[in-house]
Amino acid sequence: MIPRIEYYKFENLSEALSYLRNNPDSKIIAGGTDLIIQLRSKKINARKLLDISRINELKYIQDGSEYFRIGALVTIEELKKSKVIKDYAQPLWRAVNNFAVWQVRNTATIGGNICNASPAADTVPPLIVLEAKLKLQNIERVREVKIEEFFKGPGETIIERDEILTEIVIPKKNSLWRYSFIKLGRRHSHILSIVNVAVGLKMNNTKIEDAIIALGSVAPTPVRAKNVEEYLRERQATSKLIDEASREVVKDIKPISDVRASAEYRVEMSKLLVKKALNECLDIMK
Amino acid sequence: MSSLTFLETQKDEYSILEEWLKAKEFIYVGREVRRIDALDKVLGRAKYVEDFLIDGLVYARIVKSSIAHGMLISIRPGRAVEHPDYITLVTSSDIPGMNQVGYYIPDQPALAEKKVRFHGEPLALIVASKPRSAEELRELVEVEIKPLNAVFDPLEALKDEILVHEEHGSNIVLKTRVRKGDALKALQESDYVVENTYRAGHQDHAYLETEGALAIPNDTGMTIILPGQYPHLAQSIISRVLGAPQSKIRIIQPAIGGGFGGKDDMMPIIGAQAALAAYKVRKPVLLTYTREDSFTSHCKRDPAVIRYRSGASKDGKLTVVDVEIIFDAGAYANRGPFTLWRATAHSTGPYEVPNVDARGLLVYTNKVYQGSFRGFGNPQIQFAAERQMDELAEKIGLDPLEFRLKNILRPGSKTSTDQLVEDSVGIGEALARVAEKSEWFKKRKVYGRIVDGKARGIGLACAWHGISTSRGVPDWCNAYINVAKDGSVTVYTGIVEIGQGTHTGLTQIASEALGIPVEKINLVGGVSDAPDTGATHGSRGLSLGGTAILIAATKIKKRVQRVASRVLECRPEEVELKNGWVYNKGRPEKRITWEEAVKRCYSEGEDMAATGYFYMPKGKFDEDKGRGFAYVVFSYMVVAVEVEVDVETGLTSVVRVWPAICAGRIINPKLATTQIHGAIIQGIGYTLMEEVKLEDGRILNPNFTDYLIPTIADLPKIEEPIFVEDYFRFGPFGAKGLAEMALIPIPAAVSNAIKHAVGIKPSEIPYTSEKLFKEMLRRREK
Repeated sequence: MIPRIEYYKFENLSEALSYLRNNPDSKIIAGGTDLIIQLRSKKINARKLLDISRINELKYIQDGSEYFRIGALVTIEELKKSKVIKDYAQPLWRAVNNFAVWQVRNTATIGGNICNASPAADTVPPLIVLEAKLKLQNIERVREVKIEEFFKGPGETIIERDEILTEIVIPKKNSLWRYSFIKLGRRHSHILSIVNVAVGLKMNNTKIEDAIIALGSVAPTPVRAKNVEEYLRERQATSKLIDEASREVVKDIKPISDVRASAEYRVEMSKLLVKKALNECLDIMK
Repeated sequence: MSSLTFLETQKDEYSILEEWLKAKEFIYVGREVRRIDALDKVLGRAKYVEDFLIDGLVYARIVKSSIAHGMLISIRPGRAVEHPDYITLVTSSDIPGMNQVGYYIPDQPALAEKKVRFHGEPLALIVASKPRSAEELRELVEVEIKPLNAVFDPLEALKDEILVHEEHGSNIVLKTRVRKGDALKALQESDYVVENTYRAGHQDHAYLETEGALAIPNDTGMTIILPGQYPHLAQSIISRVLGAPQSKIRIIQPAIGGGFGGKDDMMPIIGAQAALAAYKVRKPVLLTYTREDSFTSHCKRDPAVIRYRSGASKDGKLTVVDVEIIFDAGAYANRGPFTLWRATAHSTGPYEVPNVDARGLLVYTNKVYQGSFRGFGNPQIQFAAERQMDELAEKIGLDPLEFRLKNILRPGSKTSTDQLVEDSVGIGEALARVAEKSEWFKKRKVYGRIVDGKARGIGLACAWHGISTSRGVPDWCNAYINVAKDGSVTVYTGIVEIGQGTHTGLTQIASEALGIPVEKINLVGGVSDAPDTGATHGSRGLSLGGTAILIAATKIKKRVQRVASRVLECRPEEVELKNGWVYNKGRPEKRITWEEAVKRCYSEGEDMAATGYFYMPKGKFDEDKGRGFAYVVFSYMVVAVEVEVDVETGLTSVVRVWPAICAGRIINPKLATTQIHGAIIQGIGYTLMEEVKLEDGRILNPNFTDYLIPTIADLPKIEEPIFVEDYFRFGPFGAKGLAEMALIPIPAAVSNAIKHAVGIKPSEIPYTSEKLFKEMLRRREK
């Protein structure tokens, strides 16, 4: 059952922001595919809901010279259908392609997937690897934070009570970067990840100049695999190196056991998926 | 062996069935007639229980226990009474009749009284004027329960340290036994013996539509619209709870969103709960279970622990099966006495085994109770039996198919209970044809190697399943047919359409017998106004329900023949009914329409209504000796299954399935095929992913986020089924049961294919990817 709630809806951003300033105890709803379930199961208690789903100014995908900009209210299905995302944000496109069911994708937004702060959110590791920044706006100002600094724990972020996530900014990087994304679930589709992994490698011929690796569902927040990255940097890409580097991931993750998988299985799958994602990145170059 | 007892009073019925069994040509039977309910369902016109909008309707929800075992001290509405939409709280003290809904053993209350025995047990019903308010108010109800120590593990429960039902004196509900020969001696003397312990978990029915019932009180009694599987059972249980005569309780079947056995057990109980609320408030009440209520509080497939020993001789003949079967009943016995007996009787698999000792134990625990579910105790035991067959074959050095062929039941064989099966045993042929179609021998040689991190394997498994009730438990069917003056026909049956298509099949049978098009027939099913036809379970709906309709229709046909013979100038048996015409077989130009013939019957004193009662011949089972008659006939199933195992993650994909079924005459091949598909998919879920996770008796995953059923991406290519039509003499045109069959061998077939692919022997289901991965890791580390 959903407890009785006061419901407010605005169609432009500034009205929503000024409402939020005066009602900081409001919970923001966009697609609602996570929030409604959490309200029903009482994981979240909210007395007031701010519906931002009709704020059309937050629905865009912009292809600029230095950045891609994604409005926070772009739905997962729109990302899936976007040629820009497919061509230039490969790991994100891969993630949204095996994301829930069609009905959920039609309603769920990228902003919601981020702000819900599930450790298993499939769009987040790709965005970390793409070095995305988040625009957080209140009635007075806009600030930008790196996505990997956004999360504090399951369901917890650094967003202030009067702020709305308005935009995801993805820098355009040079063509030496290669990306991959892999997720593992308990069945073949329509499933929450047990582990998901995104990898970005900057290659100079066969040398790895730089690496960014992020994993989901293996710690209280999505995490960078900095030990793996460090192991790879400035080294020649050999299968021996990939094997060794993948094992380093155990130093970067802190998985728990839950109804979906044991911590032990998550550790083993993290090693495997990092290895597979790295190999996939290198295969793209061949 | 035992022979069947035939009733003298049923002679005419036997001869009707015998006559039709000889028929060679059919107009409607064996055809892919379109489902009669297809258009209504596709267009959204079909009315489900929640679609009946009635003036003054009020809404009820169950109030559940959040304690697995305890003494119920009090239930009070608390602050709920302050709400304007609050109507009442219904508890066991409101019950005018008996607070007893146990199926076979009277151990289960409609609403808990004095004691609670599982987390999720219904304690009370909250009634409100709006559904949302009912949902809201149930959380305000004040429940006081004094917790008791609880027992969750059936093996632990066997110690009887904590009793789930003190009045019973033990947690062992009952024991079953099937015995022949000398199993102990045979185990010592067999050339090869294999011993393993197998486990199976719960399975939830996961039907699209959760449970719900609409009870409408009237001046003389109560009408209850409910998606059940046996209207007359619901009628009898509701009458017991209300203390009203059965005849005053009317049951109507709405469209149903899936049953699979779960609604057979639940709807009499939930119907009684709804009726009780309606009785108290004197208004129509719609009681619905939410998805979470359905998960926490409706019955599940019985978890099992099976210790299995079997032996064979050097030349590949089975010598002995010695098995102990423990079924976890949960808090109430429900159908456990019957699922367990079925498992015990089917424990050898469909093979000739000279020495058998099968012992079953049904055990109470403080968990959600067990219940009917497609296969009814049989999938668990066939999993064990058919895994054993592969293990024994390997030990002897025989191919698993060849080993099975050496031992398979054939006409004239004797079963586990020493029952002679004379005819309708097509499984030998089914095995051989599946092997050929699946290229068994070639794939057994080629597969089993790892290529790019993936390994393919092929496995097969057989199943048998007794049709109708077991032993001497009475079984009958009935139907009522009325031909209107204009020649249109209404058929009344208690058999329920739960999505399986049976009403279409039954209509085809009536069409065939009367020689009129399907469109002329209106089939009214699943209502208590029809004669008691028994339940739509045990794969008996089309077979027994069809037998009754065939008998009733044939009685009418004979009357039409008698009347028509006078105008057609021939003897009655020379009158043919086909395609809406009634004609002289020798001179087909001499004919009248069906309508004309009916009109004549009305004016010449022929009864145009008939019932078709049939009492199934049964034999005797000697409970003391553990042998004798088990079932009047068996259906048989063979599947070959190809899997691909991802050896790095443990994720198993079932890629291809070859089914073969021996279900006698196939009335509608399209419907038969869809039943086979559904059963295979449900079997794959049971084998690989469906898992009810419990912590202190509480279900941790009462939702589809974490209780996984297969999606379209998890489905294999299912080959065209092979139909081996081994006719059954008491079935309509020789039809046996079909709907459960394809699920039963799936756990073993998939497991045997996993074994072939990667060498690991699954001994528990669900065999999830994590379990498979851990087993491979353990093996690598050895």
